[in-house]
Amino acid sequence: MSLFGTSAGFGAGGTSVFGSATTDSHNPMKDVEVTSPPDDSISCLAFSPPAMPGNFLIGGSWANDVRCWEVQDNGQTVPKAQQMHTGPVLDVCWSDDGSKVFTASCDKTAKMWDLNSNQAMQIAQHEAPIRTVHWIKAPNYSCVMTGSWDKTLKFWDTRSPSPMMSLQLPERCYCADVVYPMAVVASAERGLIVYQLENQPSEFRRIDSPLKHQHRCVAIFKDKQNKPTGFALGSIEGRVAIHYINPPNPAKDNFTFKCHRSNGTNTATPQDIYAVNAISFHPVHGTLATVGSDGRFSFWDKDARTKLKTSEQLDQPITACCFNNNGNIFAYASSYDWSKGHEYYNPQKKNYIFLRSAAEELKPRNKK
Amino acid sequence: MGRKKKKQMKPWCWYCNRDFDDEKILIQHQKAKHFKCHICHKKLYTGPGLAIHCMQVHKETIDGVPNAIPGRTDIELEIYGMEGIPEKDMEERRRVLEQKTQAESQKRKQNQEDSDDFEEDEEPGPSFQQPQPPAQPQATYIPPMTQPGMPPVHGAPGMPPANYSGMPPMMPGVPPMMPGMPPVMPGMPPGMMGMGGMMPHGPGMPPMMPGMPPGMPPLGHRPGMPHMSHVPPVTAPGMLNRPAVPTVTAPAPQPAITKPLFPSAGQAQQAVVSGPVGTDFKPLASSSAPSDPPKPTFPAYSQSPASATTSSSTVSKVPAAVTAKPATLTATSATSKLIHPDEDISLEERRAQLPRYQRNIPRTGHAHMATPPGGPMGGMMPPQQGMPPQHPMHALPTPCSTN
Repeated sequence: MSLFGTSAGFGAGGTSVFGSATTDSHNPMKDVEVTSPPDDSISCLAFSPPAMPGNFLIGGSWANDVRCWEVQDNGQTVPKAQQMHTGPVLDVCWSDDGSKVFTASCDKTAKMWDLNSNQAMQIAQHEAPIRTVHWIKAPNYSCVMTGSWDKTLKFWDTRSPSPMMSLQLPERCYCADVVYPMAVVASAERGLIVYQLENQPSEFRRIDSPLKHQHRCVAIFKDKQNKPTGFALGSIEGRVAIHYINPPNPAKDNFTFKCHRSNGTNTATPQDIYAVNAISFHPVHGTLATVGSDGRFSFWDKDARTKLKTSEQLDQPITACCFNNNGNIFAYASSYDWSKGHEYYNPQKKNYIFLRSAAEELKPRNKK
Repeated sequence: MGRKKKKQMKPWCWYCNRDFDDEKILIQHQKAKHFKCHICHKKLYTGPGLAIHCMQVHKETIDGVPNAIPGRTDIELEIYGMEGIPEKDMEERRRVLEQKTQAESQKRKQNQEDSDDFEEDEEPGPSFQQPQPPAQPQATYIPPMTQPGMPPVHGAPGMPPANYSGMPPMMPGVPPMMPGMPPVMPGMPPGMMGMGGMMPHGPGMPPMMPGMPPGMPPLGHRPGMPHMSHVPPVTAPGMLNRPAVPTVTAPAPQPAITKPLFPSAGQAQQAVVSGPVGTDFKPLASSSAPSDPPKPTFPAYSQSPASATTSSSTVSKVPAAVTAKPATLTATSATSKLIHPDEDISLEERRAQLPRYQRNIPRTGHAHMATPPGGPMGGMMPPQQGMPPQHPMHALPTPCSTN
């Protein structure tokens, strides 16, 4: 039975009816397919935090909906609930206790979805679409941070219609990440700002971008003591920069690497360079995953500076990814990201979310 | 490329010990002799690259670099030209060279060792700029905030509540957000604070959720209850095994000045109380804070955007000074091509402009009532009188009746 009325369910089995025999380009990695995926491109994925038993996956899409699935231990996925915005959903996140989900949309609002009551209410308002939403849990305050194309970063106590604080950004917010006490926001025109969140959010440093092209995604990583210490920044030019906030030797410690490019060693044909759509760090190993417009995902070890794995190529770009809270599951979404313009958009084409076992493939490589 | 500087000797191939005049020629040699696939003759860039190619394309493993001398066949070492050569092999080579050219042997050795300790930065400037020592940038950002709102607030004890009017003097430091409501306490469950008007989606529920609402079993007796009968206890092996995952949230010590990440932030915030704060970061139980009249501190914080923007013009030269990027990227060069329509706007912005994604968005400036599902804000506003005029949300008109 499908709770999401529109899609034709493939049954509760979780595995696709087609593609099981031969290598099907929609799922060449033969990963588990999430049932009842959204009807338009998936923009964001988020797994439930450790505070909640079990694994619940939230996915926001361009069909204006946010869906919740339960992912069971045997790999089966069960659609649980859904909420709507009046515009495409661009970002989702969980509260630290797993009771609420925050959703950001092109309808210029962000909502708080109480999963227990299955009610959602608006908690934020901007003058332009909200691109990022993050929950901040500090010892002395909690709030929701929203980044918008209206060039502001606002912080909201969910009980009040006015923001607790509003910070100006140099340009439209394109991506952000929060790992207390650090937040990073990357904006249009290659803007890059780090914030510190202790006591109250304040701008910590503006950084000259290590990348030469439009910023697309950012993810904070932590050091061995589990404190945020830097971030990975992806651009539309098939490249990721690893940047430490206070490295002992910046020239040596910070670096960039190329990814999501077609085989360019054959110099006869030009190399195709794809955008990096999302970056996620494995919560246990500290290794990272990148997904790109080329329809591949790759796993990397930033300390050993090596690639761990690259997937086969899917027939659509991969638009979002995330790990579950213990790092056993890697979820990635296959849908069109507009990288080739609207001519290549096919509304009939199915969108997918895949789940892959992540415990083994993301183990760090021993440094040589 | 160029992350390591060149050593002061002629380029040589690690795999076969041959000498070359020029690193470019060396690289061509390596590609042709050592990184060439024996099956399809494709030339790769590195040993590991060749290994991966053979695995992915031909499903074959190779156990060594072709045409390499014994001891130098390691396929996993990433060597490109002169880069990646292990230090001990470099030294060995140097020694060998010294024996051949005994003249400057001592000087050369010393030179090499010194230059090993630091990395000449060949990188074109901006990419890896040393971040300014923490003290400096803070000077621009923090001062307005070090006494967060204290000075301005201080001088305005009897200020008419520019915030939510009509409030009798509350506990200092607690700006009344909801007139008539008890003081805002962080522990208050969110649904209870007069936002209740927003909760139900209203009658104008879009047709997409026919089976959804009331019948929908709520997600569960979540709070703390071990529900979920179909999730076996977590110790089950398999996908959801839980190794001891360290909690993500940072540990408690806040004024931790010694925290390396944001050192000056630690100092700067010393003046601030670290107790629980209300909805505007003012401490609730005004423990050590000097008197905080119930004036909203938003004006104080409005300084911060100002300071951020002024400093942005000086610090962040990114938008202006960047080397001109092509606006369209479809033909960057003969050897590569960016699969991206336009650098000026993001893919999401481009897509969101399409009419099909704009149908339901309430226009700013107009009342939300035009779109029923978007109306929720309207339901919340009326109970509050005296919303400050600087309220960013527009048009939250009284007629929430349109919901």
